Amino acid sequence: MPSGFDKEAYPEPPRQTPAVEKKTALPNPALILTKLFYYSVDLPVTTFRETIESLRAKNRLVYYHEKFRRVPELIDCHEGDYVCYYEADMQWRRDFKVDQEIVKVIQERVRACHQREGPSYEQNCSKEMQQFEEVAKNFQSRYQDLGAYANARKCLMKQKERMIAAQAQNA
Amino acid sequence: MVAMSLLRSAAAVAARLSPLKYGNVATNLLTRTIPQTEKVAVRWGHGKKMFVVNPTAYYDKRFLRLMQFYVLLTGIPVAIIITSVNIFIGEAELVETPEGYDPEYWEYYKHPITRWISRTFYDTPVKDYEKMMAAIHMEKEKRELRLTEQKVRHHMRERGLGPWYLRETNDKNLIDYSYKSTPDN
Repeated sequence: MPSGFDKEAYPEPPRQTPAVEKKTALPNPALILTKLFYYSVDLPVTTFRETIESLRAKNRLVYYHEKFRRVPELIDCHEGDYVCYYEADMQWRRDFKVDQEIVKVIQERVRACHQREGPSYEQNCSKEMQQFEEVAKNFQSRYQDLGAYANARKCLMKQKERMIAAQAQNA
Repeated sequence: MVAMSLLRSAAAVAARLSPLKYGNVATNLLTRTIPQTEKVAVRWGHGKKMFVVNPTAYYDKRFLRLMQFYVLLTGIPVAIIITSVNIFIGEAELVETPEGYDPEYWEYYKHPITRWISRTFYDTPVKDYEKMMAAIHMEKEKRELRLTEQKVRHHMRERGLGPWYLRETNDKNLIDYSYKSTPDN
């Protein structure tokens, strides 16, 4: 995993390496194999990486995360104010992308939990599963069936349908 | 011993009677010795050289050769450029925007080639956004004027002559006052 990840969302499983108690005089094959792996794979790869890093040292580039100001939503636009509609639509599209990435992150957490727990994932991953179900249900109620040409207006109409259905159910 | 000599003489008789039959070893037919091909030490090495008749492969080979040449003509420089960019100028690292610093529009991308393309060929996305909004604004004004004209025409048709009536005339800006522009004309 890359360096900046949430340590609580992806907890490391407890280490299960036993304490070494040498009972025989024979050499430890696990030690031999680890040394072999280190010298044949780990060391060349690390030195390669470090040479490339030293070549890149002079031309370090950085990039930033663009933050957009909030503009009035589609509801807050006057009728016929097409510029306001356009800005609200662009904001909705950005929010849609953000929501897609949120769902992907939650899915990644469920997958990581499954990988971590092994055969007992059904019991131990209940928190992640419940979180994923909630997020997926919300995403589905908001964005599903809008189609490929979804825009803010269609999403607003879907919300209206939802509110009508909820009102009809309550009444 | 006697049996062996009998057998040998029987084999010689059989060989003389039918020298080319299988099983008769190296018999003498008159003065020639016929080598039986089953008994000669034959080894299937490279085999006999044959001239295999094939249709020409010249045009196919020429096509493949030329395709290889033209693909590699730009392919190799592009591969070298991309490899050297990835090795000597690495990808960018994500950092928090420093306080009071307004990043340029190309500094929002990760790969150096994407940054270069964005810097050299494209305008800032803010400009594109504003251009789109300006186009929408102009269309909006046109739409509003057209709606007003439609309402006016509806009223004229409905109510007949009156203060709401509009007779279309030419644009006032097109009037030529140049012959009246100085008092001496």
